[in-house]
Amino acid sequence: MLILTRKISESIVISKNIKLKILEISDGQVKLGFEAPDDVKIFRSEVYDQIERYNTEAAKTLKSTVIQAARMLKENSNKNVKR
Amino acid sequence: MKYFNHHFGEFEFEEKHIVDFPEGIIGFENLKKFIVVDDEDSQPFRWLVSIEDSNFSLPLIEPNLIIPDYYIPKMPGKKSVFVVATLREPFEDSTLNLRSPIIIDNDTQVGVQIILEDEKLRYDFSLKLETIPE
Repeated sequence: MLILTRKISESIVISKNIKLKILEISDGQVKLGFEAPDDVKIFRSEVYDQIERYNTEAAKTLKSTVIQAARMLKENSNKNVKR
Repeated sequence: MKYFNHHFGEFEFEEKHIVDFPEGIIGFENLKKFIVVDDEDSQPFRWLVSIEDSNFSLPLIEPNLIIPDYYIPKMPGKKSVFVVATLREPFEDSTLNLRSPIIIDNDTQVGVQIILEDEKLRYDFSLKLETIPE
């Protein structure tokens, strides 16, 4: 891992077209500003990891589980109609 | 065109129904070409079926069936919005990932899984008490 030390308002350039600027440091938190082309996706890593986790689990769903869930959802709806 | 899928066996589709995901799906960035399969037994769920990996298919649902006005794409043109359904047994444990919907442009057949900034949107929105319109 490359490690660089930066001060507030200093920045880092990645591959010419991505710029990362240190905006604020306080109470153990760093505020970062990004300048990047639209097709460069920037996510908080824990958000990305969560979505990957849900996608991975969903991709393993058995067809029978989906059919069962479809049935349950319809049953819920029918119960509500009767109420 | 024909392809094989672990859930559906051999199935046929027209080339115009292929949805191109230039960035793939989050966690599966290598997969770019999919078909949205509307299987009668699975309705209202649908399946995002890869035509590059015969073992990959993702249950989806149109979130507006469950949550009206959940998310309306700002981009121009006709879009389909889906969310990934994590369905479990028992059903009570099933959830929807509202944080990162899948948007498909119906004119260009291009799809993307986006991440919404609204932190109130849950990854694990419970389906337990939800109903669908007739």
